[in-house]
Amino acid sequence: MASTKQCIASMARMSLTSAARPTTSQIPKFLAPSIIQGQTQTRWKSAGTSAMQSREREKEKLKRKRRQQRFKEYKYATPSKEEQFSLCDAMRYLRAAEVGRPPGSVTYELALKIRTIKNGPVLRDRIRLPYPVKNDTRIAVICKEGSGAMHDARTGGAVAFGEESLFEMIKKNPNKLPFNRLICHVDSEPALKKAALGRILGPKGLMPSLKTNSITKSVKSLMHEMVGAENYREKIGAIRMPIGNIQFSPKMLTENVKAMVGSVKDNIVVMEDRVKKDLIEVVLTSSNGPGFPLSGGFSPTDDKVLPAHLSTAM
Amino acid sequence: MVNPGKRMHVLQALLALRHGPGAAILPPEITRIHMDFALKWNDGHLGPRKFWKTCLPRLKFWNPAIPMLVNRSDQQAGPATMSIYFRQTSLDPTSPSSSSTSSSTSPSSVAAAARNMLPLAQQPKSSTENEHPAPPPEAGERVVTIDMKNVHSDAIFSEFMAKTGATPVHPSPDEEVEMRQVEEREERATVDRAIVKKYIDDKRREERMLALARHEAEAIKLANQ
Repeated sequence: MASTKQCIASMARMSLTSAARPTTSQIPKFLAPSIIQGQTQTRWKSAGTSAMQSREREKEKLKRKRRQQRFKEYKYATPSKEEQFSLCDAMRYLRAAEVGRPPGSVTYELALKIRTIKNGPVLRDRIRLPYPVKNDTRIAVICKEGSGAMHDARTGGAVAFGEESLFEMIKKNPNKLPFNRLICHVDSEPALKKAALGRILGPKGLMPSLKTNSITKSVKSLMHEMVGAENYREKIGAIRMPIGNIQFSPKMLTENVKAMVGSVKDNIVVMEDRVKKDLIEVVLTSSNGPGFPLSGGFSPTDDKVLPAHLSTAM
Repeated sequence: MVNPGKRMHVLQALLALRHGPGAAILPPEITRIHMDFALKWNDGHLGPRKFWKTCLPRLKFWNPAIPMLVNRSDQQAGPATMSIYFRQTSLDPTSPSSSSTSSSTSPSSVAAAARNMLPLAQQPKSSTENEHPAPPPEAGERVVTIDMKNVHSDAIFSEFMAKTGATPVHPSPDEEVEMRQVEEREERATVDRAIVKKYIDDKRREERMLALARHEAEAIKLANQ
């Protein structure tokens, strides 16, 4: 308390006489020690020989370099063997944690921790899980009127297709679109550019582009790939994605997890020449449950529990 | 969360999912458990809610094959009952406790098998909209109900244990040691938390005083001008 009182007193005095003083002295010493330090340091530096100066500069450089390197990657920890679980064990815990919740609102989720630099390209792709988590994909296709692509779209079950008519519809009621995926045929790309729909579609993440893999030559195959397909994307060194309904059996879940991990690994290999990434660990969670690093095994450790026991109703 | 030490501690908290009130292995006659109560806790629905939150996960952990459904409705005045479904005929001793793998031909097991043959989407499930009230017992099944309204969750649990004849699970010595460690860590954490809180409070108070002083100084300066 004493220190504060003193401080108040000194400040009050200062402010009383401040009009007469130069402005620089208005800042009390304890508030801005850096200014004073900086002054003394520059004076000392100028006094050294050129060799000393250059050495000093080298040191500075090294320091800066080290500082930059330190946080180039996202932080991560390699999990020990003791804290890894087999899939059935993790499922047993998660099913216990989610007991009594409506299954429509609970999903298994997968988090893939990836060792990666912060400013490089990120992993992003689309994956078609063997057992889709939910199926509410409604696709619209931009293609030339009366072309083969349009026929493909119609037979593939697109909710909307065409060129000008589709643009008209998007412009008319941008907040009530009947679709949640939009793909574009290569031939119609100039028309799409001309229509200038980026303002409307961009924020919704619907704008077709080569980057998101939604401009295609073959509408049919892309639509087939998209139905029940999910986009994933690496964020802050991790990919998180719903991987299954809580009612899935262990077998269904393994297949989904395998597909997901395989896809990410393939992607990492594809990116290898541009940037180096490592898959560190695979964590299984659920909507309200704890997270379990997976060991890659399947069978439960407790021999009284069989995989069949984990596939009954919750 | 990347700190390995912290991760270890969090995983140890899984003990709470294994041991504590509710850790019990049910006898093989029990086919399913159904709880029926209201969405909110007022009007005597706190006990069942607490039972669901504390005991049911552990029961589910030790009996993963038994469906345990929680059906909640927005009728606060409605009843709160638990129905436990028993298989009446004695089970084939060779088959394990699961109803799906039992090969005996008793009517109850046939009914259970038929129920399990249905795709999961069509089977009754937990709900918050009163979609699946307690079903009537199937052939060869009998129902024991527990009235849970206005009853404490501990009392519900003891009644549950008495009516089902479940065998409680006790933690192994290793796990007991671990549990004690977790408890000790909690205690130390409260002490540490108090220390840090005091430090932060002091710092904030000092800052407030300084700000006040600065404000006063400004006022005096203005007055002088």
